[in-house]
Amino acid sequence: MNPVPTDDGPGAQGATPVLSARSVVQRYGATLALDGVDLEVRSGEVLGLVGANGAGKSTLTAVLAGLLAPTEGRVEIDGSAVTLGTPAAAAAHGIALVPQHVETALVPELSVAENLVLDRIARGELGALPSRRRIRAEARAIAGDELLERAGIRLDARAGSLRTAQAQQLLIRRALHRGARVLILDEPTAALSVTEQRELHAQVRRLAADGTAVVYITHHLAEFVGLADRVVALREGRVVDEFSAPIEPARLVSAILGPIEHLPEERPVREAGDAVLSLRGLRVRADAPAVDLDLRRGEVLGITGLLGAGKTELLRQVVGAEPLVDGSMTLDGAAFAPKHPADAIARGLGFVPEDRRRDAELPEWDLVRNTTLAELRPHRRLGLLSARSERAATAALIRSLSIVAAGPRALLSSLSGGNRQKVVVARWLAAGSRVLVLDEPFRGVDLGARADIGALIRSSAVEAAIVASSDPEEILEVADRIIVLADGAVAGEFRPDELDEASLAELLVASTAKDPA
Amino acid sequence: MTTTSLADRLRDGVYRSGLLVLLAALIVYFAVTLPAFGTPRNAVIILQSVAITAIIAMGVTISLTVGGFDLSVGSNVSFVVMLTTAAQVYYEAPPVLAVLIGLAAGALIGLLNGLLVVVARVPDLLATLGTMFVFAGLALVLTAGQSVSSGSIVGGEPAPGRITEPFAWLGRGVVLGLPVPVVVMIVLGVVVTVMLSRSRLGRLLAAVGGNADAARLAGVHVGRIRITAYVLSGTLASVGGVLLAARLGRGDVGVGGSYLLETVAAALIGFAVLGANRPNGFGTLVGAVFVGVLLNGLTMLNVPYYTQDLIKGAILVGALVMSFSALFKRKDAS
Repeated sequence: MNPVPTDDGPGAQGATPVLSARSVVQRYGATLALDGVDLEVRSGEVLGLVGANGAGKSTLTAVLAGLLAPTEGRVEIDGSAVTLGTPAAAAAHGIALVPQHVETALVPELSVAENLVLDRIARGELGALPSRRRIRAEARAIAGDELLERAGIRLDARAGSLRTAQAQQLLIRRALHRGARVLILDEPTAALSVTEQRELHAQVRRLAADGTAVVYITHHLAEFVGLADRVVALREGRVVDEFSAPIEPARLVSAILGPIEHLPEERPVREAGDAVLSLRGLRVRADAPAVDLDLRRGEVLGITGLLGAGKTELLRQVVGAEPLVDGSMTLDGAAFAPKHPADAIARGLGFVPEDRRRDAELPEWDLVRNTTLAELRPHRRLGLLSARSERAATAALIRSLSIVAAGPRALLSSLSGGNRQKVVVARWLAAGSRVLVLDEPFRGVDLGARADIGALIRSSAVEAAIVASSDPEEILEVADRIIVLADGAVAGEFRPDELDEASLAELLVASTAKDPA
Repeated sequence: MTTTSLADRLRDGVYRSGLLVLLAALIVYFAVTLPAFGTPRNAVIILQSVAITAIIAMGVTISLTVGGFDLSVGSNVSFVVMLTTAAQVYYEAPPVLAVLIGLAAGALIGLLNGLLVVVARVPDLLATLGTMFVFAGLALVLTAGQSVSSGSIVGGEPAPGRITEPFAWLGRGVVLGLPVPVVVMIVLGVVVTVMLSRSRLGRLLAAVGGNADAARLAGVHVGRIRITAYVLSGTLASVGGVLLAARLGRGDVGVGGSYLLETVAAALIGFAVLGANRPNGFGTLVGAVFVGVLLNGLTMLNVPYYTQDLIKGAILVGALVMSFSALFKRKDAS
């Protein structure tokens, strides 16, 4: 492996772009996912693509891979405009996508061999009734004896039994066999071991040396060191920066996050009291380092970290949504070992999950029923629920949280994202939660609602709160103390008034390197 | 929704009250054209014809509320019919004990369904399809495939016991001028409807059916709630089984089988009542009565009996279209 290419290497500037996006705009309803993106992919280069959640990475990938026809702008192959729109059209032009979840690209019940030639069977190229022998022979030609032997893949095995790395190798091989000139790898290392990752990197470099263009997407920024010739950073649907090898991960972080303004408005940083909630020796994964944390009375503790840092894994253990991997907790000085979210709720914890739609909302229920769900007992009169009591409690919360809705009986689905999030927070106030744990509470939430929720978290209605976000700016708005999480480890701690952008960037990538080459 | 055009309101009206209006229109039409239809006596006959179906359908409604589906109710009825009659005829069980055995069996079938779904993680439809077979089979095994009646021959000897009068009263007795099954239907109908719409348990059942992940994170013990739903469903089916055994006065093999489709139809027709578009107790009662009224009237009009299933099926499909078709969907306020 001879990773770092020089500037006149195969991916050098000036080569004809094999694939390019020109002023690509993509709208979903009122949302602008891509706002005029220009991007060139050249033969023989490894192009990194980075960006935070919602920056437009996935959308751009989908446009390039032909899964999505852009609202405006065009995609060019070898300098001439093409209409992709379907994966088949993209494949015909030599563009192949290996998705992050490789299992979605395979039919698990079919054999490995059948999966490799599925497209040819579908096109009828192997005849109406292809024999097993024929399928095996074709599949062997695609995969190659060397790969089958080295990776220990049996052609007769069910595709569903493949490990991620094996499936990935087969998909890459299938794409190349179909004549792919542009290979898009979406988070290819997310499920790979360190060794498998090292092998993939070497393979990617070899492919590039042979003239294939590789678009490589990962949130482990350190992977780009020695791998990528160029890295393009997206933010809010635009290309905001471009870096050439040698890549410095800390500079990528700054580009992804954008300029951080110091404390948006002056507000007091509160000095906290004794510990309310203490975590000792928790781990985000079995192989991750131990995490010790204290949440103190009267503070908002911010946790920030890049995607994959382990924020969600940590918080879900704290609130009893997942079993503890390791370690122990105390709440108000007493042992705290929730086996079910109900245990955490009974002790005064409220959890606002990352994926609101999936984990918190009952969209076809009205605000009243969404708000009172976590604690219905106070609304019982003679064994039955009192509609009046539920409604009164909800109406009060609608007022105090400034929820914009037609009324307490409006359906949750009729509200905007920000107001729905307020309803989820209101659920915990209605349940009498003293300690709130919020995972990405500001995602898809407008600035007004964000400010309202922030003010509420900092109000006396809440004894203490943990707010996790991959956007440090959101954390700066509400937190009294900030913990930086990197690859499951506490990488550092800040007070918001002493935050400095450069050192934050250093901390965020501190240990994202699985393989610093 | 601040401004609504006349067409919108009309559509909304059809959507919300369509089935009730249709039911009223049917009753008026039959009453006008058929002198024998609009009598109190016939009203009681109709209610009696749907009482057992409606009771079992309340259980199906509960299983639908948690997002499940109880296909085993028909076999449950068959099994309970054989169990209660065999207990009395073969083993001389007193009627109260026979009833308790029947209800306990129903609850246990429900518990088994719940455990299969929650602990063994078998999908609802498949789990209850399996137990449907098992209990249809057990109902046969119980009496070696024989029907049970007073004076049945067992091993060459006449069976020692018989179906007693107090037991038969459950099926044939009259309280306040109404047959006992109708009274039970009304009582259980009200209880289940209130439970589903006004009690904490009902709210949690609906939460699990609406979004199980969200319910769990809000502290709902999703597994326990789903098991509870199946136990209630099984118990209500066994109430139907006890009443059926009492009304027949004997244990006929496979007599419960037809109740599966009947009760599922009633519960699904109930989706369309008052625009609920989800399982609801009142709707299920209306669904059962709707089918009863229609069949009663058509029979009086000399429509042959063998067309009944076709008619029930057509009503079900129509009601489902009304519930699910975008045509009648209320638009989201925006």
